[in-house]
Amino acid sequence: MADLGRAALVVSFGLALYALVAGGLGAYAGRRRLATSARNALLACFGSTLVASAVLATALLRHDFSFVYVASHTNRTLPTAYALSAFWGGQEGSLLLWLLVLTGYGALAVVANRRLLRDVIPWVVPVLGGIATFFSFVLVAVASPFQTQTAPVDGAGLTPSLQNPYMMAHPPLLYLGYVGLSIPFAFAAGALLSGRTDERWIVATRRWTLAAWTFLGFGQLLGAHWAYTEVGWGGYYAWDPVENAALMPWLAATAFLHSVMIQERKGMLKVWNMVLVALAFELSVFGTFLTRSGVVNSIHSFAKSSIGGWFLAFVVISSLFSLALILRRLPLLKARTKLESALSREAAFLYNNLLLVALCLTVLWGVLFPIVTQLVKGESRTMGRPYYDFFLRAFGLPLLLLMGIGPLIAWRKTSVRSLVRTLAWPIAASAVAGAALVAVGAGSSSPGLIAYTFSAFVLGTIAVEVVKGTRATGSLALLIARNRRRYGGYIVHAAVVLLAIGIAGSSAYSTTREQKLLPGQTASVAGYHLTYLRTDEIQNDPNRTGQYAVLRVGGRWHGTLRTGQVTYTGFQETDEDVGIKTDWLRAQDLYVIANFQQSSQAVYFKILVKPLVNLIWVAGFVFVLGSLVALWPDAREQRRLAARFAPAHA
Amino acid sequence: MTWVILGAVLAAAAVVLVALPFLREPHADDDRLDAPTAGEARLRELVEERDRALAALKELEFDHRTGKIADEDYRQLLTPLRQAAAGALRALDADRARYGPGVHDLEPEPAPVPEPAPPPDEGTPPTPAPVPEPYPPPDEGTPPREPLVPEQGPQE
Repeated sequence: MADLGRAALVVSFGLALYALVAGGLGAYAGRRRLATSARNALLACFGSTLVASAVLATALLRHDFSFVYVASHTNRTLPTAYALSAFWGGQEGSLLLWLLVLTGYGALAVVANRRLLRDVIPWVVPVLGGIATFFSFVLVAVASPFQTQTAPVDGAGLTPSLQNPYMMAHPPLLYLGYVGLSIPFAFAAGALLSGRTDERWIVATRRWTLAAWTFLGFGQLLGAHWAYTEVGWGGYYAWDPVENAALMPWLAATAFLHSVMIQERKGMLKVWNMVLVALAFELSVFGTFLTRSGVVNSIHSFAKSSIGGWFLAFVVISSLFSLALILRRLPLLKARTKLESALSREAAFLYNNLLLVALCLTVLWGVLFPIVTQLVKGESRTMGRPYYDFFLRAFGLPLLLLMGIGPLIAWRKTSVRSLVRTLAWPIAASAVAGAALVAVGAGSSSPGLIAYTFSAFVLGTIAVEVVKGTRATGSLALLIARNRRRYGGYIVHAAVVLLAIGIAGSSAYSTTREQKLLPGQTASVAGYHLTYLRTDEIQNDPNRTGQYAVLRVGGRWHGTLRTGQVTYTGFQETDEDVGIKTDWLRAQDLYVIANFQQSSQAVYFKILVKPLVNLIWVAGFVFVLGSLVALWPDAREQRRLAARFAPAHA
Repeated sequence: MTWVILGAVLAAAAVVLVALPFLREPHADDDRLDAPTAGEARLRELVEERDRALAALKELEFDHRTGKIADEDYRQLLTPLRQAAAGALRALDADRARYGPGVHDLEPEPAPVPEPAPPPDEGTPPTPAPVPEPYPPPDEGTPPREPLVPEQGPQE
């Protein structure tokens, strides 16, 4: 069966290379049949990659340990769902998933836009072919998932931290996001190569970008929840290089989603948008380089190998290609109009973009710093949490404020008087909220208080915008149905506010206590009384061993809580299994970690009470809801676009 | 062996799919890519200009109705926007006369325009001249229609 997988990958490589070379020649020489043939090669590339993926999935499910990959990442005791998730648990499998998603997305995007962009698609095909060529080459020549061996009796098993339900969704979602950013990049490059830089490539990729951005954002939140429940240190985001690797393209894509609206409305920022699209794509590939190269220390670096160099070379070449292309086409990217006022919607978008990109670049510098210091000084130094927290506050809080002000400013220009009048209610709401928070003792943390006050302000502005819009149109449903992007965007803004409140609440106002308890002893934390009852051993589970401490909880909540330490079959390290009780009424978590002592009945407990942390997870669902509203097809818009872009010579 | 044969079948199927355009048309009379002419590209630009100008007018109207923009600013911005829209429409008409039917002729006829309700907060709109449909907001709303735009700006 491995032969079929290998053959399918070789075919994929050949087809991708053909799409690159023949597609480039066909587009350059204007040869219709050659361009169509290259497009077919891209479609067929998806088919053959699908075959290769099916072979690997089958081998994983059948525990076929003659595949080195299967033996390295699964064993016989691994539950079936985790055996399947081992597809992306290792390097070769995750690269295959990347290629599968890339060719699938690419085929769909090319077919869906064959009419709208009939003159640009011939150039999009070789760009997608080029990206697919790189990934299929790495899979064929450097990191094949189809290497075989004499089958051992059992496999090594899956990394314990990946044996979590979140890991079945988190990596694929991130890949859907990372790879999804290839589509706007390919279309932008296609538009530049063809010299047709009109609005169509933006229209064609609008939903692709939004979908990729949604996957990336939701995938990160799932990852944060995984870290919170699985890693067992009481937090959810550690500014780990690989976490940052997902954050950076998301920030660049967020900037693009905002700035592209200025291009659509005013024909401005064309160069900037091209740069952002390229930046988002390059950062997504760079993220894979970080994950796989081992150049930085990360809790996520499950598989370090020699493919890092290949990825670095690809990032460098594709960045130079993008830069050269943008410079070559600068005359086509001239702005049609100028910024009319510093107090206008477009100016607000510009400020938002500057802050987002500044935050993205600061994170990038933090990620690169260990590599740079290693190269320059010969010793690797890392940027700690204070560095990232400082810049998150420095750029994040103004961004939060701008998120409230921006939608209330008119396009072109607004007078200060109009703005003050429009902002009166939100300012009043935030002042009342701030005063109330100080009254209840939330003034102990200035960043927390500022975040809460700004959040109240943003929620106030969203409410004002919805109320005024409803009054103007006469119906809320009509207002949203006819302006899905705008109001979907406001729902996403509300999600960001929830996120900000959750982050501020759980970091600025949390309570932590560490205490050693013997059976029968009690610890009290923030109104909870925890009595350590006993320790239970895990029994009859072939996949893991370990023990759980059972605690009786009184005070604010009554019940029992289990928290333990687990060792998975075939692995030495111990994993925390955190005890969490969510109080939805107060929106806070009681979070308990147990550290068992050998030759002692005493257990060291770390007990945390984290207010509002659950708003972070709620924000994830609100974020998806807002994205779905914005993504939902609008038949009226489709008709309008179809009419606008109908073939002129039809 | 079976897997190797299956691999070979996969490769053969891929080759056939790639060669399909040449197998279907071994001697194509016209093998040129379907690219728009310079006139069509210009037409597309003009249509974009027109839509952008009309959308800006509708956005201005909506911002005014929702109180984001003062009467004075509204009046100040309305004239250049109307002139821009009129210019875009004139350019399209000229293009239509020069090159014949184009994309603008393929657009559906606009539905009858409901009379816009008076703005909720601002009192009577500052100009009675017909303006584009004030709602929904222009970014995703109805197909932009060609308003009765006066040549020399609004009659204030």
